Amino acid sequence: MNEIDQLVARIAAQMDLYAETEHQVLAEMRDHLEEAIAEARAEGLDEAGALARAAVRFGLEEEIGRELQATHAGWGTADAVVATALPVVCALILRWLAFAPGGTAMGWPLLLSRPAFWIVALVALLIPLLKFERWRYALVTWVLFWGLTVLFVSLPALRW
Amino acid sequence: MTIQEQMRKGTTTVIILNLLAEVDRPMYGYEIIQELEARSEGYFRFKEGLIYPRLHEMERRGWLGSEWQGAEGSRRRKFYTITDAGRRRLERELQGWQAFAGTVNQMLGIEPAS
Repeated sequence: MNEIDQLVARIAAQMDLYAETEHQVLAEMRDHLEEAIAEARAEGLDEAGALARAAVRFGLEEEIGRELQATHAGWGTADAVVATALPVVCALILRWLAFAPGGTAMGWPLLLSRPAFWIVALVALLIPLLKFERWRYALVTWVLFWGLTVLFVSLPALRW
Repeated sequence: MTIQEQMRKGTTTVIILNLLAEVDRPMYGYEIIQELEARSEGYFRFKEGLIYPRLHEMERRGWLGSEWQGAEGSRRRKFYTITDAGRRRLERELQGWQAFAGTVNQMLGIEPAS
């Protein structure tokens, strides 16, 4: 393990994020350190001197790792809330829309013809798409929404 | 922490947004640090690694967009650009800063520069 690896490892030790997020964060730190070292070397410093200067200017790895963790971890929680709560709320709204005032469940063809149905379905897709960094997560949320909707609408016995 | 350090910390966000709005092109973290240091003639020299939590927070808030450039297997860099939401935020921050600076100057008896 070279010196840059050790610096990056000390930052990583402070973080516990999604693997992909952490990988990207650490790649950015590594790129920064490599450029700082290359610049110091271009100014005439030897390898050890360049590394020492880059490390000092970069700051304490533990502090940076903690700040990065705090920045990303809180948002991860918010994402998790959206990923779980949004499909449930949207599916419940659609379930409510699926019943006529008299209490009779609409058939799927009639339900699919109502604009409100598609507006809620689009909200369930667009909010995660705009919020999440990965479109795959938004699609998983949408699949969950449709699964719940089919379940709720197809099983009238579940009606409150 | 000195008053200069506190002010630098408190103004990092608006200064980064302003820089990206002025240059109007994507910049990566190290480049942003170098540019801030050059424009401030060395005054804005802070622990370089600490810029990344700020950049990521601004990105999460939607004030910055980002894109990785460079092919897989070669050197890849994350470039940041200011978004429309970032420009609106910058405008609000600048208005707030002008009001704050004007009030402090007034209280300290400092005449505004003509």
